[in-house]
Amino acid sequence: MAKPVRARAGSVSFNMTPMIDIIFNLIIFFMLISQFVQLEIEDVMLPTAEAAKVMDYSQFRNVVINIVKVEPDGSKVKILGSEISSDISTGVANSELTQFLKTRTELEDRGKVNVILRADADIPYEDVARVMLCAGGAGIEGWWITTEIEEPEER
Amino acid sequence: MRNIAREREKVKLQPPMTPMIDIIFLLLIFFLLTPTFQAHEGYLTTNLPKTSGPVAGEEQKKIERIKIGLEDTYGTDEIVIVLNDTQVLGNNFDTLEAMLRDYQDRGIAPDHPVLIAPEMSIKHKWVVKAFDAAILARFTNIHFAVPR
Repeated sequence: MAKPVRARAGSVSFNMTPMIDIIFNLIIFFMLISQFVQLEIEDVMLPTAEAAKVMDYSQFRNVVINIVKVEPDGSKVKILGSEISSDISTGVANSELTQFLKTRTELEDRGKVNVILRADADIPYEDVARVMLCAGGAGIEGWWITTEIEEPEER
Repeated sequence: MRNIAREREKVKLQPPMTPMIDIIFLLLIFFLLTPTFQAHEGYLTTNLPKTSGPVAGEEQKKIERIKIGLEDTYGTDEIVIVLNDTQVLGNNFDTLEAMLRDYQDRGIAPDHPVLIAPEMSIKHKWVVKAFDAAILARFTNIHFAVPR
C-alpha cells in the first residue's frame, strides 16, 4: 500500500481507503437486495378491492406466490422468478407446489406462515383454488390476496 | 537520509479522489431509493382451514353458513351472484354487500361462517369482489370452496 504520509505541520489528512471499501460494500449490498425484491414481484394486473388494507408483512413469515396470466386463457404459478407447477392430478401432496411450500416452510412454525397471493385479475378461479389446495396441503394457514386499493365511492 | 529523499518529493500528486467519491455516493443513493417505488398494494386476508384438507366437505358440517355462489355466464363478462342458493342477485356486488349488511343488522354474528363458492371458470377479480363485499359487511370468518 501507499507509504504512510507524514503529516505536515498544521494539516490533517485522513485515509480514504476504508471509507471507499465500506461504500462499495453498501452499494453491492443494495444492488443485490433490489434484485431479490424484483424477483419476488411479477408484473401482474391485480384486481381491485375496497376493503384491502396495507399490512406490514415484515411481521410475518411470507411466501409470495404470483399467478401470471398466459395468453389466451391460461396461467402459470411463479415463486421467486421461477415457474412451479400446481398440477394436482396425482394428488395434492404429490404436487410440485405442495412439496416446494413444504420445504420452504420446513424450518418455520407453519402456523405462522402466510401465502401472499398476487394473482392476475383475469385468471380462472380454478387456478387459484389449486394453489389454495397446495398451500393447505403444505400446512400453511395464512392466505393473503393482494389487490389494488380501490377508493370507496361516495354513497 | 530518508528526510533528504522526502524533501525532494514534497509535492506529491494524489490521484483525484473527490469525483470518484461523488459518483460512489450518487450510486449509493440511487440504489437506496430505487426499491421503494412499488404500486400501492393492499391485502385481503383470511385463514385456510386447519384441517388436513381444505373445506371440501360442506355436507359434513350441517352448520348453516351463508353461501355466496358465483355463476358464470359463458359469453359475457358478467356473472350471476346467487345468495344461499335461493336469491339471484344478478351482477351487482353492491346489492350483495347490502344484503350481507342486512344479515348483520338482523343479528347474525360477524364470525358466522361465510362460504364463497365460485364456479371454476369465474375470473379471479369477481371472487375478489365477492370477498370484498363480505369483508365490507364486517364478516370475519370467510372461506372459499375448492374442487374435490
